[in-house]
Amino acid sequence: MRANLTPRETESSVEAVLRLLESGKARLVSIFAAADDSGAARVRYIADVNREYRIIGVPVTGALQSATPVSPAAAWYERELHDRYGIEIDGHPDLRPLVSHLADYRFLEAQGVGVCELPVGPIHAGIIEPGHFRFSIVGDTVLHLEPRLFYTYKGTEKLFEGDTLANGVMLAESVSGDNCFSHAVAFSQSVENAFGISVPPRGRSIRLLGLELERMVAHIADLGALCGDVGCAVPAVYTARIKESLLQASACCFGTRFWRGIAIPGGVRRDLSAENARAFGHAVADATADFADIARIALDTPSVLNRFEATGVLGNKIARDLGVVGPAARASGVRIDVRRDHPYGHYRNIAVEIPHFPLGDVLARAHQRIEETRVSARLIQETLHDLSAGIVRTPVPCDGSAEGFSAVESPRGELLYWIRIRDGKIARCHIKSPSFQNWPSLPFAVHGNITADFPLINKSFNLSYSGCDR
Amino acid sequence: MIFDIVQRSLSSSKVLIPVEELLANSHGSRMPDVYAQALTATIAQRAVDSCSASALTIEQDGGRSILSLDYGKCTGCGHCIEAGEGAFFHAESVPCGVGRQALVRRWDVDRGVEVLLDQAAMTDAAREIRAIVGGALNIRQVDGGSCNGCEAEIGALTNPYYDLERFGIHFVASPKHADMLLVTGPVTRNMADAVKKTYEATPSPKLVVAVGACGCSGGIFAKSPAVAGSVDSVIPVDAYIPGCPPTPAMLLTGILQTLRHK
Repeated sequence: MRANLTPRETESSVEAVLRLLESGKARLVSIFAAADDSGAARVRYIADVNREYRIIGVPVTGALQSATPVSPAAAWYERELHDRYGIEIDGHPDLRPLVSHLADYRFLEAQGVGVCELPVGPIHAGIIEPGHFRFSIVGDTVLHLEPRLFYTYKGTEKLFEGDTLANGVMLAESVSGDNCFSHAVAFSQSVENAFGISVPPRGRSIRLLGLELERMVAHIADLGALCGDVGCAVPAVYTARIKESLLQASACCFGTRFWRGIAIPGGVRRDLSAENARAFGHAVADATADFADIARIALDTPSVLNRFEATGVLGNKIARDLGVVGPAARASGVRIDVRRDHPYGHYRNIAVEIPHFPLGDVLARAHQRIEETRVSARLIQETLHDLSAGIVRTPVPCDGSAEGFSAVESPRGELLYWIRIRDGKIARCHIKSPSFQNWPSLPFAVHGNITADFPLINKSFNLSYSGCDR
Repeated sequence: MIFDIVQRSLSSSKVLIPVEELLANSHGSRMPDVYAQALTATIAQRAVDSCSASALTIEQDGGRSILSLDYGKCTGCGHCIEAGEGAFFHAESVPCGVGRQALVRRWDVDRGVEVLLDQAAMTDAAREIRAIVGGALNIRQVDGGSCNGCEAEIGALTNPYYDLERFGIHFVASPKHADMLLVTGPVTRNMADAVKKTYEATPSPKLVVAVGACGCSGGIFAKSPAVAGSVDSVIPVDAYIPGCPPTPAMLLTGILQTLRHK
C-alpha cells in the first residue's frame, strides 16, 4: 500500500520537469518557491506520477522556463512566483499580476459587434466572499469571463514563518474557514511526516470522522444553494436545516461546530466518549436519510433539472489540462481522490468508494455531491463502529528541524501542505489549495452559457476565495 | 413532487430555538471565562504564556496585578483552559454587540475579583434607527477579507433554527437598502477601498458591526503586511461581536444588543 509520506526531493532541471509534464504521465500538483538554508532561491515542482507524489527541486539562476505551454495547470502558480517572489518566467503566455492589486491591470478585451463588458464585484449580493468577475457578453451569452481574485489575500504563508507548530494549526484553520478541519489535518500530517511520527489509531479515526463530516456539511449545503439559485426554496431550506443539525451534533459531541481546535500535530485534542459516539452516529444517520430524501425530491423536479442539465459543462480534456481536482474533477470524469490514490491516516484501513460522472455539467456536480455525501456517511458509521481504544495523541518534538509534506482530500479536493521546520519553528509553509487549482477552469465552464446561469455554475464548483487567495 | 413536500413538511418536527435560549448564550464558541476566586499569580501567568492570540495580558495597576482578557482578540484556541488548572472554563456568555472597550474583562489577580466597568450608553445612530424602523432592520453583510468562517455562521442565521426573519430582520443585496453593515475581517489591503465605498454608499443613519476576532482586532492576521487591520481601522464601527467564528446565537445577540432590542 502506498503511504502518504514525504517523498524524497530530487534535484533536477526545468527541462526535465517539462519533459515529465509533456509526457502526459504526470499531473502537476503545485509549484512554489522556498529558499534553501543557505538562502539560495529554489523552485519546487510537485507532480503526481501514477499515484505517487514526486517533489522536484530546481535551483533558480535567472529566468525560469515556463511550464504553462506544456501544462496549462502551471499558469497561476508561475504568475504567483513572478508576483510574490519576482522570479522571471520565460515563455509564459500571460504574466499580468495575479496577487498584487497595486500594479495596473488590463482585462482581456473581447471585440466585435455587440460585445459589452459586465463588471461584477468584488462585493456580491449575498453572504459570500469577495472577488471580481469581468464578463464579455453578446446579448445574454457569455463570450468570455475573467475572474480577478486575491481580494482576500492575507499573506498567510508568510505569517506561518517564525511561528510555533501549535499556532501554525490555528493559521491553517483560518485559510478557508469552512474547510478548517481539512486544513488543520493537512498541516498536522505534514509536521508528523516531517518528524516521522505516527498518530495513534484512535486519533486517526477521530480525524476521519471530522474530515468526512466536513465533506457532508459542505456537500449538503452546496446542493441546497444550487436549488436556491434556481428558485427551488424548499430543498434549500431543508438542507440548511440538515447542515445545522450536523453542526449542532459537532458542538454537542466535540465542543466545536466547525471542528476548530481539534486537530494538532500528533493527533487530536479531544477524545470521544462512548455516549457521544452513539449520539454522533445517530445525528449522522438521521441527516443522511433526510438528505437522501430531499435530494431525490429536488432532482425529481422538472424545473430544477431544466436549469441543471447541460449547464456549465467542464469538458474532461480541459479538466485534465488544468489539473482540476476534487468533486469538480470527478464530475468531469477525472477519477482522482487523495483518499484512494495517496491514502493517509485511517483511510489506509478502510475502502473508499469514489463516485464519478462523465458529463461535467451542473447536474453532474449535483449528483457528485449527493453520492459523495452517501459515501462519507458510510465511512463515518464504519469508523464509529470499529473505533479502536487507546490514546488519541502522541507528543511531537518542540525543537527539531525537518521538512514534510502531506495531502488530504478536502471537500473541494486535493489540499496539500509543504512545511519546513527549523528548531521547532516554522521556516516556510506552502499551501496548495484546491480552489487555487480549480478557479482557472471556471471560465471554460461558463463560456457560451447565459449570464443568469453564472451564479448557478459558480456555486456548482463552490470554490473558496480565501482558500485560493490565502 | 408537491405532495412529497407537503408530506415532509407535515411530518417534520419544529426546530425553531426560542429567543430566550439564544440570547447571551455562547455555547460552542470555545471562548474562556475565569473563576476569579481560583486565580493565582502563577496560574494567571501560565494562562497568559499559553495564549496564542495575545488576548490575555497581565498589567500592574497601582501595585495590583490585573489580568485582562480581550474577547476581541480571542480565537477560542482553549490553551488557557488547558493551562489554567480549573481557573479558566468555557464561557456561558461572552459580551456581544457592545463597544470595543466592553469586550475586555479584567480581574484583580491577588484579590480574586472582577474589576467591573460602567456599561456604555446607546449610540445616537442606534436610537435613531430604532425610532425609524423599530426592530425591522435591513442588514448588508460585507466580507472585508475573512477566511469565510464568519460567513458560514452568518449564513446560518436564516436557517429554521435561528430564523432571523422572525425579528423583522433580513439581509439585503445592496448597501443602499441597508441600515446596518455586518462587516467581517481582517480588512485586507486589497479590500479596504471596497469596504470604504460600501460604507459611503449606505444611507445615514447607519450602524456598523464588526464581526469575529479578525473584524474586531485583526485577529491572528493583524501583523500581516497584506492586511489593513480591524474593521474600525478602515470605517467607523458602532458595535463588536467577538468569536472565531461567533456562533449564530452570539451573532443574533450582538445584532439585537446593538439596537438595544429586547
